[in-house]
Amino acid sequence: MATVHFSRGLARYTGGVESLTVDAPRVQELLVVVTERFPGLTQPLEVMAIAVDGEVHQHHDYLKLRPDSEIHFVPQIAGG
Amino acid sequence: MPQTQAYEAPRTLADAVRLLSTDGHARPLAGGTDLLVQSRATQKLPSTFVDLKRIPELVGIEVGPDGLRLGAATSAAVICEHAEARRLWPGLVEAIGLLGSTQIQGRASVGGNLCNGSPAADTTCSLIVNRARGVIAGAKGERTVEVERFTTGPGRTVLEPGDLLVALVVPRPAARTADAYLRLIPRSEMDIAAAGAAASVTLDERGVCTAARVAIGAVAPTALLVPAAADALIGSRLDDAALRRAADAASAAARPIDDKRGTAVYRKTVVGVLTRRAAGIAAERARARP
Amino acid sequence: MSTATKTFEHVGTRPIRHDGLDKVTGRANYGADYALPGMLHGYVVRSPHAHARIVSIDTSAAEAMAGVKAVVTGSDIPKTNAKLVMGEAALDLGAMGDNALAHDKALYEGHAVAAVAATSPEIASAAAEAIRVVYEPLQPVMNVDQALAPDALILHDGMVTKGRPKPDAPTRTNVALRMELTRGDLDKGFAGADVVIERTFTTPMVHQGYIEPHACVARWGEDGQVVVWTSTQGHFVVRDCCAGILGIDAARIKVIPSEIGGGFGGKIPVYLEPVAIALARKAHRPVKLVMSREDVFRASGPTSGTKIRVKLGAKKDGSFVAASASLYYEAGAYAGSPAGAGAMCAIAAYDIPNFLVEAYDIVVNRPKVAAYRAPGAPAAAFAVESVVDEVARRLGKDPIELRLQNAVREGDQAAYGPEFGPIGLREVLEAARCHPHWKAPLVPQPGRKVGRGVACGFWFNAGLNSSATVSLSADGSANVVTGNPDIGGTRVAQALMVSEELGIPVERVRPIVADTDSIGYNDVTGGSRVCYATGMAVIEAARDAQAQLRARAAKIWDVPVEQVGWERGRAIALNGASGREPLTVSELAAKLMHTGGPIIGSATVNAPMAGPAFGAHICDLEVDEDTGVSRVVRYTVVQDVGKAVHPSYVEGQMQGGASQGIGWALNEEYVYDAEGHLQNPGFLDYRMPVASDLPMIDTVIIEVANPLHPYGVRGVGEVPIVPPLAAVANAMHDATRVRFTALPLSPPRVLAALKQRG
Ligand SMILES: Cc1cc2nc3c(=O)[nH]c(=O)nc-3n(C[C@H](O)[C@H](O)[C@H](O)COP(=O)(O)OP(=O)(O)OC[C@H]3O[C@@H](n4cnc5c(N)ncnc54)[C@H](O)[C@@H]3O)c2cc1C
Repeated sequence: MATVHFSRGLARYTGGVESLTVDAPRVQELLVVVTERFPGLTQPLEVMAIAVDGEVHQHHDYLKLRPDSEIHFVPQIAGG
Repeated sequence: MPQTQAYEAPRTLADAVRLLSTDGHARPLAGGTDLLVQSRATQKLPSTFVDLKRIPELVGIEVGPDGLRLGAATSAAVICEHAEARRLWPGLVEAIGLLGSTQIQGRASVGGNLCNGSPAADTTCSLIVNRARGVIAGAKGERTVEVERFTTGPGRTVLEPGDLLVALVVPRPAARTADAYLRLIPRSEMDIAAAGAAASVTLDERGVCTAARVAIGAVAPTALLVPAAADALIGSRLDDAALRRAADAASAAARPIDDKRGTAVYRKTVVGVLTRRAAGIAAERARARP
Repeated sequence: MSTATKTFEHVGTRPIRHDGLDKVTGRANYGADYALPGMLHGYVVRSPHAHARIVSIDTSAAEAMAGVKAVVTGSDIPKTNAKLVMGEAALDLGAMGDNALAHDKALYEGHAVAAVAATSPEIASAAAEAIRVVYEPLQPVMNVDQALAPDALILHDGMVTKGRPKPDAPTRTNVALRMELTRGDLDKGFAGADVVIERTFTTPMVHQGYIEPHACVARWGEDGQVVVWTSTQGHFVVRDCCAGILGIDAARIKVIPSEIGGGFGGKIPVYLEPVAIALARKAHRPVKLVMSREDVFRASGPTSGTKIRVKLGAKKDGSFVAASASLYYEAGAYAGSPAGAGAMCAIAAYDIPNFLVEAYDIVVNRPKVAAYRAPGAPAAAFAVESVVDEVARRLGKDPIELRLQNAVREGDQAAYGPEFGPIGLREVLEAARCHPHWKAPLVPQPGRKVGRGVACGFWFNAGLNSSATVSLSADGSANVVTGNPDIGGTRVAQALMVSEELGIPVERVRPIVADTDSIGYNDVTGGSRVCYATGMAVIEAARDAQAQLRARAAKIWDVPVEQVGWERGRAIALNGASGREPLTVSELAAKLMHTGGPIIGSATVNAPMAGPAFGAHICDLEVDEDTGVSRVVRYTVVQDVGKAVHPSYVEGQMQGGASQGIGWALNEEYVYDAEGHLQNPGFLDYRMPVASDLPMIDTVIIEVANPLHPYGVRGVGEVPIVPPLAAVANAMHDATRVRFTALPLSPPRVLAALKQRG
């Protein structure tokens, strides 16, 4: 079961839930579970990137999750 | 940049005057470090560039018993290498040495600096405190003008269409006389002065100041001779109090504006600081002279 | 293999770069150096107003002029809602198209509203003057405070605040985005603090100041194929942006990058390219567009002016217990400032249990900002590192000691979310503390005050997508081909990687930056990613070639490939096949055609965001208290780079970043008049430092290997611009005892503050 962490800012859309364990093979399935559970997250997550086990990924849909994976949402950035 | 119509390099003063007085859109070209930059920026070219650098009267530097004669188109680099000029007018030559960078120095002239008419031009104040006069040739003949009267406003001078600045003449300094020039730029070079000040002082054997001239730049539409600042110095031993009085007089005379290069308040203040310091340096130099 | 113990033969040496001689002899071709037969010269008509509705544009007089071959306006650029994913951020193609040629409104002075192509530059500029644009001028909105005022004019009707707007936020707004990062209990945190410092800081809009202005040539062929030659940080992105903006098939566009005279993030967006293509399409002739320096300042992408409030609470023992920060960033004319990145970087260096960081992206009537080296981070670090300095003073602690005490370490959860892997902040701070600079006595020149400041900086470093091929020639030399314009010496670094993997001397490796048709996709040269991510692709491509070489050796030796190893650039026989002399690359290459033909190794990577990196800078500053003029007299940059592939260029990045940061701190700023006209669009009055302004900048390279990269490389180019703003301001405080909260520390500002101090 991967653990998804919601920062306090995001927790506003989860009714205060700060973390959630989700049984999902990949990020894509995980996101479906998360946004079905908290539809209010859909829009804020549009402007977020995703960090899986400390690595921030750009194209993450098919990224495989480990049972102990830790997922964070992080704001998007662009480099110079 | 639009194509210019013509480039002429006359070899005599008479030819140059003729070229300039028959075509109102022709412009004299010395080093071109102002003119070419401006032409490019404004996309406006004169009909003819009249290059002055082949006219013998306009290039060269001579120091004689009467003083200095500086061809208006002589490059800064040539002037700065002249040991005798450096010795007699250290402030003036330092001011000339401040123009631009090594590359610019190879081209930029004192005549161009003056004729461009910028209130921030670095050589003007030093020329003024050294009582320099400009020798002007035109269709109506030759005349001379004190440098403090040469510039009449930003980008404006006493030159009339067809006129040429031929040379600058500077009288030989009296005994125990020396000058200095300081400018303020935020960077260390390649910048335009936010304020500048030059001073020339003459001491008697006891170290009392008997004559002085102070000029300030970039703080009014033209460089200003500040008699009140000179008066603050004359009769003193150029001690701290006298220097501070001169500084206050310079600040009071300044009429700067707020712009991208500094606030008016700032310029008024620092022109005083520069005056105090320049007069201090000139005093030290004068004391070291026989 | 443990990267820490890995020893290198080529990596870490300092060979002369392959592109060096062409550059120093003037042979290298930059954007404006291209010319094609029949080429036309373009000229862009720009708005004289900072904010105006475009009522009408009459191009008929211009079109009637002899020599004018095409005129385009916003109507030649379709309006679109399309987005292009680039890196972590999505590019708004609609905004980019509107920025290239305005549709309805001019949103800043210099905004392009029309363009002409003619047979000479003179005709083009004369025709531009003949274009009649009728404007309805509007009140310009020039800064954060004006944009947030309750009665502010709204730049974009229908703008809604994305991210996490405050519940009571107005519906008509100039705020494009609000985001926040929170942890713990802020009130409780501050309640437990013995010292709380709160201040508001401002930084001006500044430009990257790259030497080469934007320039391109576009050709629209009879067959509808488009070729663009341009100076860019990413030609694949130019291709995809132009396709999206103009609504044409990307497959028809080929983009050829020129050598690039600096970018620093500013040459990621497109400005001229879509306009040149649109002109070339109408004119049926190639069109060249070149920006003047004024255009570059007025109408390319500088970085945001900011207003940042920071509050930091610490215990007597020095530990930070709570922090809050509000960051307001000017985006320019369209949404997309680096406010979010600024928020993420603001307190990234410190382990603080309770915090709230919020950031606002705010549109104003200035040019749309572009990335600039660690976008968003320098302003945030200026604010936070100034406050950290003040806390250190208040507690009587050594500022490096205080930072070490609170520094994040491996395993800490970053303020922006994930856990840090191995990071080098502590190593960097230790090295700074031990550096002779930190201990050297400060000796003021007569009449001057002197002070010393220190500050930290952080940047994420990007990964993203890269492709590379390595092909071997029969003479034993190799080509390495990638698709990243080389800004910071990446070609020689890539050649070194090939040398390392294949044992070919670096002079015999030819690094090539290929056009969009000649190599797989590469994301932009940006985010400090090229040496890291494209480097990974190069290493993998070289290893692919190496595997093929081993197979050739197996063929020659007639043994199974498993019995062939690779060591120091040679195929060696392993156990079963022992007794055979090793084969060098040259020997194997000479037999290429007998063993199966040419060899090309290739690889692509989709690299995760690269190892985060930290730097610490020490600055000595001398101030003339009578004039407010200051000079940096000594400066040291300490930075964790993971692994320095070519140390000279790593040091060059560290020095270059520091120089730009010092300029930002001391004199650079966009100066506007009340009507929104830029007053200083040139290097004379936009005062970047000149060489004689700066001392030799000392560098200390720290190498804490990045486990994500085979050699341990981290990005290098961005971190060094983050600390200088605060390092300089902290030094100024040390010298004058005045805490400056507004940049730049220009002489008038410094003198005014000193007068006030008394
Ligand atoms: C990079 C750079 C740095 C600079 N730094 C400085 C600086 O530090 N301080 C400073 O004061 N200036 C500076 N300048 C400005 C310029 O270099 C000086 O004003 C210089 O002295 C101009 O001399 P010139 O011979 O090049 O003049 P030109 O450009 O040839 O001429 C200037 C003007 O004077 C007219 N003119 C020239 N000679 C005569 C003549 N004999 N008779 C009549 N009219 C004449 C020309 O028609 C033109 O209008 C700088 C310029 C550049 C490009």
